[in-house]
Amino acid sequence: MPTRRKGPRDRRSAAPRTPAEAAPATEAASADDRPDGAAAPDTPVPGGPAAQSEGIAADLEPLADHGADAPGTPAPADALPAEEPTPAAEPAPAPGRAPRRNALFPLGVNHYPLDAETSGWDDWYAADPEADFAAFAEARLTLVRVFLSWKSLEPQVGQYADAAEDRLQELVEAARRHKLQLIVCFFADDRLAEMLDVPWGRKRDPHTDPYLLQRQTALIQRVVNRYRAEPAIFGWDLANEAFCTGFTSADDLAAWAETMRDAVREVDPDRPVLLSVDPETLFRHTGVDARAALGPSEIAVSHVTAPYRAYAAEGPLTSGPSTYLDSFLLRSASGGVPVLLDDVGVHSLDHSHAEESAAVRTALYSGLMNRAAGVLLRRWRDLDTERREPYFRDPFEVLVGVRDIDDEPKPVMSEVASFARVAARIDLRRYTLVQERTAVLLPAERFEPLPNLASLYDPRACLQAYIAAKEAHVPVTVVHEGDSLDPYSVIVVPSAFSLEDSTWERLSAWVQGGGSLLLSYGGGDAPDIVRELFGVEFLGDGGARATLSCRIAQPDVLGHLTSFDARLDVPSFALLGQAGATVVATDATGSPLLTLNQAGQGRAVLCAAPLERALAQGDPWAPPGAVTALLRTVYAAVASAAGCGAPVACDAPGVELGLFAGEGEDILVLLNHEPATVDVGLVFDRAVTAVADVRGGQPVVVGSTDLAVPLAANGALALRLSYG
Amino acid sequence: MADDDAARLYQAFVSQDPATAISVIEQARDGGMDQGALFDTLFAPAMALLGGAWASGAIDEYTFTQASVVAEQITSFATPPATAQDTGITVLVGSMHRDHHTIDKDIIAAALKDAGHRVIDLGADVRPSEFLERAEETGARIVLVSAQMMATARAVARVREMFAAAGRDDMLLLVSGGPFAADPALAREVGANGVARGAESALKLVARIARDRLGAGERP
Amino acid sequence: MTGRSQQVRLAEGLARQGHVAPAVNACYQALRIDESDPFVHCLLAELMLSGDFYDEAISAASRAIELDPECAPAYLALGLAYDRRGGMWDRSILVWHELAEVVPDLVTAHVQLGEAFAAAAFEEEAIDAWRRALELDPSEARAMYNLAVAALKREGMATALPGFRKAGELDPSQDDLFFSLAGVYDDGEEAPDPADVPPDRKSRIAAAYGLAFEEDYFAAAELIRLILDEDADDAEALGLASYLYLKQEAANEAMACALRALTISTRTPTAVYCLGVAFARRQGLARHAARVFSALAKAVPDEPMPHVLLAESLLALQRFSAARESYLTAVALDPACVRARFGLAAVLFTEGRHAEADWEIRRAAYHDTRRQGLFWALYDEYAEGRS
Repeated sequence: MPTRRKGPRDRRSAAPRTPAEAAPATEAASADDRPDGAAAPDTPVPGGPAAQSEGIAADLEPLADHGADAPGTPAPADALPAEEPTPAAEPAPAPGRAPRRNALFPLGVNHYPLDAETSGWDDWYAADPEADFAAFAEARLTLVRVFLSWKSLEPQVGQYADAAEDRLQELVEAARRHKLQLIVCFFADDRLAEMLDVPWGRKRDPHTDPYLLQRQTALIQRVVNRYRAEPAIFGWDLANEAFCTGFTSADDLAAWAETMRDAVREVDPDRPVLLSVDPETLFRHTGVDARAALGPSEIAVSHVTAPYRAYAAEGPLTSGPSTYLDSFLLRSASGGVPVLLDDVGVHSLDHSHAEESAAVRTALYSGLMNRAAGVLLRRWRDLDTERREPYFRDPFEVLVGVRDIDDEPKPVMSEVASFARVAARIDLRRYTLVQERTAVLLPAERFEPLPNLASLYDPRACLQAYIAAKEAHVPVTVVHEGDSLDPYSVIVVPSAFSLEDSTWERLSAWVQGGGSLLLSYGGGDAPDIVRELFGVEFLGDGGARATLSCRIAQPDVLGHLTSFDARLDVPSFALLGQAGATVVATDATGSPLLTLNQAGQGRAVLCAAPLERALAQGDPWAPPGAVTALLRTVYAAVASAAGCGAPVACDAPGVELGLFAGEGEDILVLLNHEPATVDVGLVFDRAVTAVADVRGGQPVVVGSTDLAVPLAANGALALRLSYG
Repeated sequence: MADDDAARLYQAFVSQDPATAISVIEQARDGGMDQGALFDTLFAPAMALLGGAWASGAIDEYTFTQASVVAEQITSFATPPATAQDTGITVLVGSMHRDHHTIDKDIIAAALKDAGHRVIDLGADVRPSEFLERAEETGARIVLVSAQMMATARAVARVREMFAAAGRDDMLLLVSGGPFAADPALAREVGANGVARGAESALKLVARIARDRLGAGERP
Repeated sequence: MTGRSQQVRLAEGLARQGHVAPAVNACYQALRIDESDPFVHCLLAELMLSGDFYDEAISAASRAIELDPECAPAYLALGLAYDRRGGMWDRSILVWHELAEVVPDLVTAHVQLGEAFAAAAFEEEAIDAWRRALELDPSEARAMYNLAVAALKREGMATALPGFRKAGELDPSQDDLFFSLAGVYDDGEEAPDPADVPPDRKSRIAAAYGLAFEEDYFAAAELIRLILDEDADDAEALGLASYLYLKQEAANEAMACALRALTISTRTPTAVYCLGVAFARRQGLARHAARVFSALAKAVPDEPMPHVLLAESLLALQRFSAARESYLTAVALDPACVRARFGLAAVLFTEGRHAEADWEIRRAAYHDTRRQGLFWALYDEYAEGRS
């Protein structure tokens, strides 16, 4: 519960109202899901579930980014289907009456055709969809992705099976009945239902074979033509990631996507067309760069896969970099279009229900706080599979749903429900996230093939930089090397081996024009431009070190730094000579570690060691505290000096903040990335008069700039703040 | 006084006289010294004297070794209790019917035993009726049911129902397992009085129950 | 059979020196000359593994084995990559089996096989594998840690604790702490003959530490006797004497010397350490041990081992959450501390956090195999066999 702070020395002072009076819940597991959940703001409306579902129609709205990801990029209104009202035209819900869903942040789920490993391919959506769709609606979902079976729909060349088409029709009707919208995925491989395995395909490759592409086009046009006026269809999804992993070249993928997209567009020019691949994870798995194929998509998709998690954050789910992975991929997938946070859920039954819940809670709130355009849960119901208790891994990523095989809701289901309630109360037309003016730059070398190891190291280093910025509470996003720098005030280049010459030139011009560049040396040679930009003479790479020593030469120039010696394998250390820059910190023997240079109207900070990469290659679950503190302090200082620092001062690095600014009042969302309870001390730049849980309850009078908020392990909280 | 006793104990060590050493300790105990304090106030100072004597050459290596052997013989008189005293609290422990997960249950049961509680471990796949039968048989009033799957966690409600049907509303039902850790509401739904989130949590819960019950003059 | 080409030797040399990027480059150069050289794929696997790039390591090691099924170091890299990648226990079990067949006396293969079995919930098979490892090498600490964890899962902490202690004693890191507290580091020079040591206190104590480091306890004790004969109140000498007794399983003598040292000066960290170890070995003195190790941890907060020792004494007191904090501190100070990783895993098991516990065990394996330099031993052996 939020409590008022009298001042810095009295953090635990009693508030005039008891916390219990203030709001229904601060715990991670929402109290309003509990039998005794006091003052639940959205208790069932009179008339029960049927009456509730009538209210859904007003909430139905297409995916839309709530504010462009990159400042200055065009608002995605042009991506909205014509028949839907534009967000600005729709009035905000009346205060006091809780909407059931967030119109601009829809939740959805993947609805797979089979629920049991023992089912055959011809059981494709054989079950009556009514109960499931009713449950989707009851769970406040908006979107349902269904997967077509080419094999079922076209058992013989050019002959479409009536029975299969009837089943698809049943799905559509069920969606319509329950005011849901379908995302129809044409070509998906779920490794179980043999959906792509057309018997007449004669082992031709469905990714490249011209004849099969022709047949795929025909199937798409048949389906789209049938449903082009169907309001229960939200959009068309060309393929899922499992199908796309079959491509061996970026050109083939781009050509296939273009053909299929054109096929849809010929029939339905309005609805969004997706390609459900996360370019970062797909590249990692296959080496195929999907960016060209994704280029014309109205909506992008981000998706943490099990192998990607093993690569980027191999460790406990509820701590360390794991908890930032969803939002990191979300940010890197954007490219200026709305991003659907896809396949949210855990990947194996290794985890306890508590860990599952915490992981999903983290992903959901991360999505909301990082501009996702919506969320799709991985699976509704667990796959009924061979029992190998107590552990069973899920190599095909189809096992773990939000309900068990008996269709009973798991604890993660109540997380989803609880989140839906919170999200519904954050009207993204009235409240907008504080703009991200800081970006972590993912170098182009990331897409280089082996033996260039940059492709392996860079994403991890960027993830660490992203985490450091989050720990500094700096609003941050991810940009690719070729992207425009103009929307940003601070660019972080973490431990890159090399940048393209044109990038150095652009960075130099951007700094001269007022940007703040924060670059850590990544090894190898440095271009001549470094001298001018950073005011240092590059004397070579001093090589690897097992200990990082930091001695502060200029206190408080880049935040309040302290000297330390930390055990950390640092792969390189640039030997620098002074050429105009201020040496802020050095190693134990006086070799510059941190320098600050005023270049033109901007500032350039150089760190002589690839700290982000070193942290990533060490044990990210046990990083030296002094090094992480150094990074976040410097990031915070640079961002603050550039006018884009933390919107709210916060003393808990592991707590992510998302400030949704409104008129006269704001909503602050807090997400604890640590698996331990934390008392969060917040300091605002103006006095907060009152604070309340967004779900309702009585506001607590504060009357101070300081606020103390206890947050449960991996917990989340959304507070409505009023100012005087 | 304690210094004198320590010197006497030291003397008993170097004299290789375990009987006297024991007598010194017993006298100290009879004089009101708590068992838990004997080591610090008596044994350790005597050992320091022994070390000093060896260092200064007052005793030779052989005597030092023999004295250490005597010290070894009487150590158990001077150390705090190695095992916790019997608390008199009986706890029935078992995994729910159709649940074969045992690791958490076994660790909790061992921790409770180690803390001096009387633990009756019914094993895995325990039917609700069996919890009731054993509670009647042993007089236990605390039952800890472990469940790791949603279905079995929900089924713990049947244990509560079984107790209620037998008029045993006084039974304290504790639950443990992932589903309960994830969703505290589930524990309330099944009629549990508390959720043990691991061994230490179970120890704290049982200790609290014991304190509350004993405070109220009840039999725990 | 052929030897390694010059290009392979270049890659090898770079890899041994830890120059990952140039070594990878050299491997790719070598592959351009001969794609079917198992050495290169094997080296690539190791290099990728060293960067935690599991999929690449799996791919390279698999290719090496495909080219030569006797390529033992490739099995090691493949098995480790499977284990760390997660979700591939069935394949991992097969690989460790294969390695145990290719190199029957390789203890680590059995330890890893056990861990793969345990991860797949085949506990009996896991225990058999660890026991086999201990038959091959009774001082294999990780097998002992694993057995302790297995005991914990079946019978709780009280049964597991002696196993953890025994494993800890097999682990050389504890002795390292003593010498670190004493300010003694391995300079690579042999300790002098006691007869040649100059008759001054400074030379004697330095030599005594050196001899103790080389496990020549009797010679070290002689020098200590000479120091104490000149000054019976030399706390540092008493601290070392205590250590020497501890190493000879004489816990009471060790305790007596340590207590005497601390009576003279409480600022004798070596004596504090020895006293804690002596207490930890006694039933009923866990609280005392915790108190002593807590003081030691405060005195040398940057040393991981006192936090581990404190955590172990807290385990005995069933103060699991406090133990977790101490283990976490130790891991933060030294992520390669295998003992802390296993201890942390044990605590996590007591809290029902199995996935995290398994991960800590995997991390322990990761650091332990790195520390041993096993890959290079197998590689050299393999190269010798092929030449």
